[in-house]
Amino acid sequence: MGKNLMSRRVAVTGIGLVTPLGVGKERFTEALFRGESALKEIAAFDTSSFASHLGAEIGHFLARDFISAKYLRRMDRLSQITVASSRLALEDAQIVVNTTNRDRIGIILGTAFGPTDLKIHCARILFTEGPMMINPILVPNSVMNAPAGHASIELGFRGVNTTIHHHAASAETSIVYAVMEIQRGAADIILTGGADIISEFFFEALVRFKAISPVNGGNESARPFDVHRNGPVAGEGCGIVCLESLEHARQRGAIPYCEIAGWGMSSSPAPPTDWPADAKGASLAMMRALQSSHCTTEDIDVIQAASNGGKNPDRIEADACLSLFGSETAPPLVSSIKGASGESFSSGGIRAAALALSLREGVVPPTLGLVDPIVPLPFVTGEARKADIKNGLLNAFSHGGTNVSIVMRKIEQG
Amino acid sequence: MHRERVVITGLGTVNALANNIVDFARALQCGHCGIGPLTLFDTTHFQTHIGAEVKNFRPHILIPPRFSLKRMSRADSMAFAATMEALSDARLIPFPDSLRENTGVVLGAGSGGKLEGESFFRDYLKTGGRKARFSMLAGLCPASSADHISAHLGLMGPKTTFMTACSSGATAIGFARDLIERRAADVVIAGGVEPLCRTTYASFNVLQAVDPEYCKPFDRNRKGLSLGEAAAVVVLESLHHARERGIPIHGEMLGYGISCDAYHMTAPDSEASGAARCMEAALADAGISAGAVDYINAHGTATYANDAMETRAVKKVFGPHAYRIPISSTKSMTGHTLGASGALEAIVSVLSIRQHFIPPTIHLHDPDPECDLDYVSSGARESMPAIVLSNSFAFGGNNTVLILGRFTEKGIQNE
Repeated sequence: MGKNLMSRRVAVTGIGLVTPLGVGKERFTEALFRGESALKEIAAFDTSSFASHLGAEIGHFLARDFISAKYLRRMDRLSQITVASSRLALEDAQIVVNTTNRDRIGIILGTAFGPTDLKIHCARILFTEGPMMINPILVPNSVMNAPAGHASIELGFRGVNTTIHHHAASAETSIVYAVMEIQRGAADIILTGGADIISEFFFEALVRFKAISPVNGGNESARPFDVHRNGPVAGEGCGIVCLESLEHARQRGAIPYCEIAGWGMSSSPAPPTDWPADAKGASLAMMRALQSSHCTTEDIDVIQAASNGGKNPDRIEADACLSLFGSETAPPLVSSIKGASGESFSSGGIRAAALALSLREGVVPPTLGLVDPIVPLPFVTGEARKADIKNGLLNAFSHGGTNVSIVMRKIEQG
Repeated sequence: MHRERVVITGLGTVNALANNIVDFARALQCGHCGIGPLTLFDTTHFQTHIGAEVKNFRPHILIPPRFSLKRMSRADSMAFAATMEALSDARLIPFPDSLRENTGVVLGAGSGGKLEGESFFRDYLKTGGRKARFSMLAGLCPASSADHISAHLGLMGPKTTFMTACSSGATAIGFARDLIERRAADVVIAGGVEPLCRTTYASFNVLQAVDPEYCKPFDRNRKGLSLGEAAAVVVLESLHHARERGIPIHGEMLGYGISCDAYHMTAPDSEASGAARCMEAALADAGISAGAVDYINAHGTATYANDAMETRAVKKVFGPHAYRIPISSTKSMTGHTLGASGALEAIVSVLSIRQHFIPPTIHLHDPDPECDLDYVSSGARESMPAIVLSNSFAFGGNNTVLILGRFTEKGIQNE
């Protein structure tokens, strides 16, 4: 083992989604390619005392449709959406977990903020009723690795299991680690992606940190890459992709969406709550991704951008893309789905699913809210566009300067 | 592509026993106890009152003045101080410009800035949110420790943070090994950090998992763990990189495994399947047989369930050889440092290899008949372990096992 550490090919064979654009692949695909927006007034709590009111909330989701009654009552909302998405991804991949395969199936999950609803609840009990009054049933849910733990118990897989928590790069880093684990032979199948939720306290914190629209006044909305952007709109959701060694997928006759061809990770010096001063780190991650997937800038057909309508992140990504792809005769199409689904922080699972669907269907979703682009790149705006795409780039550039770029590639038959 | 061999060239720590490696090694050899009355916060309304606190921690002395301590939480400054020591040990201070682009940071974390966050929450609840200074939450995120290190040193390699409760630090070292092995980085600063805070202390108290006295791993009268805090950081680099720099090598990162119990969120699987599979995966990754292991640094939390389960798991994996391997739980001295423990115990493993001793399990006086292996209890044992296996088993059923070895030219697993 190990002589060919990077030669094992890793395919995407399933998708599981609980998102503001819909629960399940079918509803999500329809909403995504039709250019529907999930941005609405927040319904879960009263926002009248806050400067922001919009959010992209998960609509109709009944956890009991996906989770056994026995375990459901032990789970908080973050774990529920994770377990439901994991189940959907396994079903989509047509994988049945059994005693012969369960030790070779795992999960690597990213979460940027974890169960913020539960954490504020515990803090409240701690300082009002006293430390010994915290309900012990809640304790295991308050750790960041609870959603992945619940998924393993409910769905019965016992292989590689870990949780990554690093801002808005959590899900993309999880995908990278899942690829590495499959390549080194530690697992055959790994569910990976990210999950985060909106809670009242978390929303208030975003408002107070001036992290969401309208940061400097103006109309509240998400406008990725637009000159008039004034911050992202908070979103939530879980996106899980089922990764599998291509060999394993072919042996069982699965038809993959695409493969993960390569990836790049980098940091850019920045304080934990601020943005890097330049796009150097972002460019470096993309260049490393191209290098590891043995392709050039000309090979990239579409970019599934991280941009969310924030002043700094959009500028950094736009500059990085322009510096890498700007001189191409036909630079890649650029699209951000965060104008439709909001910024769910560990959005990489949802966006990896969106890119996998783009590669399979040959359709690029529109960047809602983008009218007046900050740089001259071929952004997809207004409505979805049909395109012949072979290689797509999935970007994550987070505050604190953590950058991940992943190349997803269509698999030629035969 | 050949797998790069990955070696350890720097060690750094602050923990309840010591605020540097030299003192830490001495305390381990002497069997000192770092557990005592908690002073970090008022424990009046808690069921228990002791823990393993970092003592006399003066970040402004351990961290050079050019690095700002402003906006660093206790966790951030502990991680930063341990990093400074590890870098200095690896002769990387001042940090060379030429290495910035390919040096990464991978940490395992737990509570992050929660101690400071709790003060915020208290104000927030008192004032109904109106007067609370949200800026106090800036360091709450456990990922900020890695961000500070990377930003202050100007690093541009991969960076991330693992959060899997008690196995975070071990997983971070495993992932760092993978990054170097496949040349995504030349050098990685890897480890774990965990500060004590009220929330964590309350959580383990309501689970009835804390011994009101110091913890007694593998003892018949064990009643639970002792919570502790620590930062533990190692410098990992590829062997050829370390050779080019011509620096001393402390040990080799031979392999690791990850598994999941998929059994229960807090209770370990009594069949010990998850823990056993994890050790087997690590042995396979390292390419060694079970018989080659010279010392096991146990997870050994001193909860009733863990110690009995871990003993069963070791017997499952090692068969008759299980009775011949010295085993100890250094949590009896350092407390259970949760997110840092896997990394702290990786350092213990390297020290035992480098300084030829098996650290003791202190407070183990009356062995549980269920725990009948060679648990080293009365003082450190002189020994020359070449290969050490270190266990970390966490809530959520997240298990990680590391295997560390003495560095030899041929590779210790081939000798």
